[in-house]
Amino acid sequence: MILAAAMSLEGFTGDREIARLRKGDPDAITDLVGRYQHRLYRFLVRMVGDPATAEDLFQQTWIRLMEKIGSYDARRNFEAWLFAIARNLAIDHLRRCRGISLDELDDSGQAPVERLVAGGPDVLSQLLDFERGALLAAAIEELPAIHREVLTLRFEEDMKLEQIAEVAGVPLSTVKSRLHRALESLRTRIEASGKGIL
Amino acid sequence: MNEHESVRAMLPLAAAGLLGPGELRRVEEHARMCELCRTDLETWSAYAQGLRKLPQPSAPAGLMERTRARIIQQHAVAAGRRRQSWLLGALVAFGWMSSLAFWGVARALTGGVFTVMGVNWVNGVAWSLGSTVLAWTTAAAAAIMLGRSREMRRFL
Repeated sequence: MILAAAMSLEGFTGDREIARLRKGDPDAITDLVGRYQHRLYRFLVRMVGDPATAEDLFQQTWIRLMEKIGSYDARRNFEAWLFAIARNLAIDHLRRCRGISLDELDDSGQAPVERLVAGGPDVLSQLLDFERGALLAAAIEELPAIHREVLTLRFEEDMKLEQIAEVAGVPLSTVKSRLHRALESLRTRIEASGKGIL
Repeated sequence: MNEHESVRAMLPLAAAGLLGPGELRRVEEHARMCELCRTDLETWSAYAQGLRKLPQPSAPAGLMERTRARIIQQHAVAAGRRRQSWLLGALVAFGWMSSLAFWGVARALTGGVFTVMGVNWVNGVAWSLGSTVLAWTTAAAAAIMLGRSREMRRFL
């Protein structure tokens, strides 16, 4: 009951902010940016791999949102709509700057140690988690953009299939098969490197 | 595809939490009896768990403020463009209305005939052609002057 009340309150706040945005009030964006900044930025970093580009795309996402807010259908899931805008900008950027197909590989890189979030049950398990995370993060960066996208939306954003399909603009069956292929591809890469995550 | 192969293909999605209740029951029942699938499911679950605990890129300091400033700047530019479009539309409408009004006055004053170089300039077609040429010439001159003044401001 408390959860339901919290959810309805969150929905109400979002609706109020969207109504203010529709009236062209740029101050209304502050709360929304604050609420989604970490998740949206993380998603964009996973998509493009470069923090500076991710920040530029993050800002463009909100500018685009302000431009399109008049045509936003309130029955749609706001979060999926927001991530779809960010996703489309990231895909456009990858196409434009790298001139590659979305199924091709992009440059790989190592996830910096300083990004490790403090926490975890103890130092050893934290270290193991970090090693496993770094290994997975490096392998993910080598995957095609459409695979990175579904993996981050499912496992980091904890989105359901329907939401991922809405963000990516593809049918549910395509999301399922992309996730399946992404996981298979990730495991193959990690096992081929002679390391395991268990 | 036999039951073992069919369940094996579902293991990554089972670990990702994307199977329906019926499919999940089928996977669990099979995994209880098949050691290979049980081990494989454990590996997939480790992948799923690892993917949920990836090193997190934290949003840079001041991201919100920079985003807000860029939105406000963009908003101002868009508002300026809208204002310019309205102004241009109003000027065009005003130009045509003036031309029409002046045509009426010219016809009244000349009795509908004002011939220069064999052309009756208060005739409807000649007047509208002349007005169009005059309007485009004036607009081009204004655009050139505006451009020069902007260049000058940028230079200064």
